[in-house]
Amino acid sequence: MAELNQIDLQALTRGEKRTWDAFVLAAAPLINAVVRRTLTSYRVGEDDVMDAAQDVFVRLCAQDFRLLKTYDPARAGLPTWLSVVARSCAIDHMRRRRQATEPIDDVPEAFLGVEDRHVEKLKIPEGLLTARQVLILKYLYDEERDVVEVARLLSVDAQTIRSTHHKALLRLRAHFREDDPGDGG
Amino acid sequence: MSTERRTPRSDKELWRSLASRPEGVPAAVSEMDLAAWLDGRLSEEAAAPIEAAVAADPVLRRAALDLADILGKQLPAAPGRMVVRARALVDFEVAREASGGGPFGKWLSGLRLFAGPRPALRQGVMAVAAVVVATGGFMVGGGLGKSLAQQRDDHSATESAYVKTIASNEVSAFFAGDGI
Repeated sequence: MAELNQIDLQALTRGEKRTWDAFVLAAAPLINAVVRRTLTSYRVGEDDVMDAAQDVFVRLCAQDFRLLKTYDPARAGLPTWLSVVARSCAIDHMRRRRQATEPIDDVPEAFLGVEDRHVEKLKIPEGLLTARQVLILKYLYDEERDVVEVARLLSVDAQTIRSTHHKALLRLRAHFREDDPGDGG
Repeated sequence: MSTERRTPRSDKELWRSLASRPEGVPAAVSEMDLAAWLDGRLSEEAAAPIEAAVAADPVLRRAALDLADILGKQLPAAPGRMVVRARALVDFEVAREASGGGPFGKWLSGLRLFAGPRPALRQGVMAVAAVVVATGGFMVGGGLGKSLAQQRDDHSATESAYVKTIASNEVSAFFAGDGI
């Protein structure tokens, strides 16, 4: 992905063929990986993957490179931005074709559970937890992800995730007057 | 009044007992904002609405993890066909630069019809130019009418020669036989 960061964006958006070719060569592995990962749940064949990837490149150069011209290098790295764009394109491509399916084993248990309507869930008051605390708790408990994965996503170390998680639970327990079990859950 | 002491719930049980879905629908996250957040370039304040949106959407949560995973690893090369197809999306400039265009190409370039990557427009103009050149050359060469007339004359001559040959053969055959 270092090659992507060396692409001359001005030449690219002017439509210079050599720059476009270099850009395609540098970006194709990333776009290929993102499209394949995004389309995993759709269980598509190789032709669909190729078509979805081509859609990404079409979107990038369409209307005189309009989308590429919106990219701001001061806000995010080109590989990161391209990966987000590729994912959006892949989803749009498949929405035009079919609905997604997902093997039941890949779905976290929390999503499959049937809500006991006899038990009313307590609402978390607004402002009790920060957005990051909620996000971390959702990843750890709703998505059942491990601390290392969440740390990599948020570009922090694992100890920061554990610390944020601990503080969030302390707030929740204090608010709802829940005793700490002592073993960290 | 119960004096039984409740068993403390685990962190997971406590979280699952709470309605964590926020009220209202968080604002949509732009591709640029999501990319900036993934790169860790946002301040805590700027990141908060994006994290709220990601927290509220399980699809987006999983997507964020997937993208972070992909961006952090060495990736295999893409299929060659993918690269070839994508490169073909911008195809005219290199051909024009490589050949210099020739006199005709330079003339067309002078019309500034090929500024910018609009392959459909360029191909359309080239097609029209080809028709104009072909038509002009055809008319200079005498046109369709003359050509047809010439062909007609040639065909008539050929046909006449063929008929004469058959007639001659039949006559010969007649006289070669007993003439009845």
